[in-house]
Amino acid sequence: MTEPAASAARAPLPLRVLVIEDERETAEHMREALVAAGCLADLAEDGPTGLDQALTGAFDVLIVDRMIPGLDGLSVVARPRAAGVQTPILFVTSMGAVADRVDGLHAGGDDYLVKPFSFAELNARVAALARRSPAPLRERTLLHCADLTLDRLERAAARDGQPVALLPLEYKLLEYLMLNAGQVVTRAMLLEKVWGFHFDPRTNIVETHLSRLRAKIDPAGAPSLIATVRGEGYVIRPPAT
Amino acid sequence: MTGPLDSEGLAETPRGLARLSRNTGMRLALIQVVIVILAFTLAGYLAQAAISRLDRDIMREHVRGEIASLRDEVIQKGRPHLPYTVAKRTRLWRGFDYRLVRADGTLEAGRLPEPSEMGWTELAGVPSRTDDASLHRFLVFTERLADGSRLSVGQDLSIAAGQMWAVNQVLFLCGALGAAFCLAASFAFNIQAWRRIAQVARSARLVSAGRLDVRTPVRPSRTPDDLDELALAFNGMLDRIGALIDQLRQVTTDIAHDMRTPLTRLRHKIERLRGTLDPDSSQALAVARLDDDVGEILRTFDALLQLSEISRQDRPDAVMDLAGAALHVAEAFRPDIEASGRRLDVACVPAPAAADPALIAQVCANLLENALRHTPVGARIRLETSAGESGSRLRIADDGPGVPAEAREAAIKPFVRLEASRTTKGSGLGLSIVAAIARRSGARMMLGDAEPGLVVDLVFPPPGAAADA
Repeated sequence: MTEPAASAARAPLPLRVLVIEDERETAEHMREALVAAGCLADLAEDGPTGLDQALTGAFDVLIVDRMIPGLDGLSVVARPRAAGVQTPILFVTSMGAVADRVDGLHAGGDDYLVKPFSFAELNARVAALARRSPAPLRERTLLHCADLTLDRLERAAARDGQPVALLPLEYKLLEYLMLNAGQVVTRAMLLEKVWGFHFDPRTNIVETHLSRLRAKIDPAGAPSLIATVRGEGYVIRPPAT
Repeated sequence: MTGPLDSEGLAETPRGLARLSRNTGMRLALIQVVIVILAFTLAGYLAQAAISRLDRDIMREHVRGEIASLRDEVIQKGRPHLPYTVAKRTRLWRGFDYRLVRADGTLEAGRLPEPSEMGWTELAGVPSRTDDASLHRFLVFTERLADGSRLSVGQDLSIAAGQMWAVNQVLFLCGALGAAFCLAASFAFNIQAWRRIAQVARSARLVSAGRLDVRTPVRPSRTPDDLDELALAFNGMLDRIGALIDQLRQVTTDIAHDMRTPLTRLRHKIERLRGTLDPDSSQALAVARLDDDVGEILRTFDALLQLSEISRQDRPDAVMDLAGAALHVAEAFRPDIEASGRRLDVACVPAPAAADPALIAQVCANLLENALRHTPVGARIRLETSAGESGSRLRIADDGPGVPAEAREAAIKPFVRLEASRTTKGSGLGLSIVAAIARRSGARMMLGDAEPGLVVDLVFPPPGAAADA
């Protein structure tokens, strides 16, 4: 069931990522991790430089620290948006309060990551944001993974043509996994996007709900479509043969 | 159920009469009124005693005078004429009543009843005035005449009683006026002081509700009186508290930034180290444990930061439905709770409250996890929301071992865990965070006995009530 390797960036072209972070060592670690996952990563150490680079629109994802010298992170984000640059933005911050999160998202951030985070979390979020760029995927009404289909208009799932009855929450969980098919999504991402929880429950509610979902969509005895990637998260993809 | 452990005191504002009676100035005025009434009652009693003694003396004089006048009649006109004189005086009524009895006991004139003895007595009888048929009391003097017959002359005591009644009326009126004057005077004198004390109390409540910018108004000009000094001292204290809290927030933010950065690096280094190791080697296992430890440090650290962040409220929360948030969290936790062999009962009716939905979700999650962790297998956990006059209630109860009454207050303090050992997982901050969220939303948090088990209640003020507190 588990796989050792990360599976980010399967796209034919490597993702171009701009990291705007003043803390050099953290920035270097982030770049290494992104490069290891197959991305092209550029660094900018202060707000004005980062802003100039971001305005070129040459990146697939911007990673922005909210507290950087020269400009505050929120303005680095507001300017490109005002200039019509739609590059997805991932905020990285040491502030985790709800109000800060709301501020960041209002200013045009697309996701929010609180320090300290793991590389797996960073890569998974970057990959998920990058998949936003080709808009049609988000708007597809029919999602596939092997012989599992999800009809987003009917809100119905079927495996091998057989309908699978899902509870609303199970549907939401499966939809999020299938929108990111082939990409690892982390536990924190599922908690945030599926449940709307911005805290970390001590109980493994994600694992429990996934087990129930697996039991519904997988035929008895067959390997599961939803794999657990140890130390990283979960991914839905056709089982390796 | 026990009393509130963690109250904002916002709901404690007394209203109406109860509030007035708790006012120091009002109490003083009431005491003055009681003293005035007592004084007038005593004065009335003494006046009555004096007047009635005086009245008796005057009456005796009158009666003696009448007797003397009748004696004079006997001397002037002779004894046989006396019954005619008495009858005439009775008829004309000069304020006296009579009784004249021969030595053999036959009534000659008058209508007073038979006196029991000679000299001064008091008798009940019908006065000779034709318009009055009721019994009156008489002060009567009886004496034996030279021929052995007895002559009684009496005066109606009710005349004096009428005087007394008039005096009493005046005294009562004066007493009432005095009491009213006392109240009015103390009200006029105290109203300003009350208003200013109420302002101090109001500022104190607002400040404890988190409005640190509020100050008590101080009157400009003139020499400051004691209340101005109170307000000034109070404002000085608030300035100091505000500065301390700002400082605390600044320190918290600095710690967050300064410590998260190296912790981020530490975590990243561990992660990279892990990547270079054979996943099945013993080093990899040791590094994984290291990572778990760092994770545990970060959790506690996050919870502590969150504690300070929760209390910071920059904008008022919109009104939300507690039931929606509670149901959502309950459904998220249900599989885990049921898989663990416990039961989850949910009874949620719409319950509006001004709060942050994300924080309410966390409250439910923390309390459900708490119940899950501290109850034996087979336990029942109940999650309820309800709405009432006094506000909306969020309740989570279990039928586990509960928390002894004396330990409940300690249970919501940071880092307190009730197990003797600290080996179980958890930072001990769960209930503190719930308490902090309750405080932020102006809710009262109560820990009680579910008989058996623990019940945690959060009572939110009715939406809108918090605004005018």
